[in-house]
Amino acid sequence: MTDSAAAVPARSGDLVLDFLMARRPDLGVIDPDYDLIDNRVLDSLGFVNFLYVLEEQTGREISLDQVSPEDFRTLRRIRERFFDAEQ
Amino acid sequence: MTQTTADAAARTAGYLADLPSILGGNPRFIEILDRLTTLSERGYYDPYKLFEWPDSLQEDAYWMSPELMTVHGTEAATKLDEAQLHALSKFESVNFYSLNVHGIRELLTEIVARIHMPGYEVASEYFHHIIGEENDHMWFFAKFCLTYAGKIYPDRSMSFAVPGVPEADTFLLFSRLLIFEEFVDVFNQKMAEDERLDPTIRKINKVHHQDESRHIAFGRQMVALLHQDLRTRISKAELDDLELYLKRYMRASAESLCNPAAFRDAGIPEPFAVRRSVIADPAFDEFVHRVFKRSLAFMTSEDIFADGRIPQR
Repeated sequence: MTDSAAAVPARSGDLVLDFLMARRPDLGVIDPDYDLIDNRVLDSLGFVNFLYVLEEQTGREISLDQVSPEDFRTLRRIRERFFDAEQ
Repeated sequence: MTQTTADAAARTAGYLADLPSILGGNPRFIEILDRLTTLSERGYYDPYKLFEWPDSLQEDAYWMSPELMTVHGTEAATKLDEAQLHALSKFESVNFYSLNVHGIRELLTEIVARIHMPGYEVASEYFHHIIGEENDHMWFFAKFCLTYAGKIYPDRSMSFAVPGVPEADTFLLFSRLLIFEEFVDVFNQKMAEDERLDPTIRKINKVHHQDESRHIAFGRQMVALLHQDLRTRISKAELDDLELYLKRYMRASAESLCNPAAFRDAGIPEPFAVRRSVIADPAFDEFVHRVFKRSLAFMTSEDIFADGRIPQR
């Protein structure tokens, strides 16, 4: 795992990071505050697959009524919204 | 991309100002719209009286053609017995109709936003028929899901707003709608004639196919016209980006058929892992190209696509 990946919150787990890195291997590393939407790591067409990764990792179904695109903008926000909330 | 919001708004306004001549300036398009309107009037029916809706359908049977199930020909399918395949066919069919419901919701929203608005004068009469017919379709697909599964699978899509090519927004919208309608129609045509399926299942697919053949004829004319005009406005690189986007849309649409919730409801363990395995299977790639064969042929014949290959990602 890269240094930057180590900076990714541990609880976000490998599946999330692996998915994003597979989308954009050219990035090499993804900073926790890197804008995943503006930089098109995550887009509308790839979203459903990412959602399933998140659901598998968190073990719960995510209702889209209760989230917004901003919840997926950075790795830090994803951690706070979907992983830290478990604690 | 360095385009500002003001630039994008100006380009969008400029394009919309030209739309009346793009659509209204083509006599063949107007003639086809008139013909489709006549056919819609002639084929008018009351969906609320057309179907019988038995209380239940046989569980120990296929609910969709096995060749149209996402697992068909995959390694994952070899681990499923016939009872599991029957159960999965039920929930994949409910997922398919649920996707129809959500696809129609998007279509109606977009058509209602355009009917009787500047630029769409020539299409507005036919838009009324599309809106009416699509509302009927949404009703019978939803009725099927609620009657036989007690639910509609939720929409799992989310839209992320990013700058694009302002002149291409209208083309992309009608292309997505056309691609989705053609995609669904492949299933409708096959299942309408498949005698392994319950008559109720065959009938909703048959009725939908009859109406969709008109919507597809409209969509093809619209998309071809819009792209012919677009080629004079934007760069080759931008056109290439549109092709890639639409091909990714095709793959995403096919992957949306493969829903872990359907695996879970069919009692198949590790639904997320099974889904990953299915969409990575070479047989699924073949499935994607099979269900989009007709759309790919149309897009390449209109020079919208350079080739008929849909990339993996």
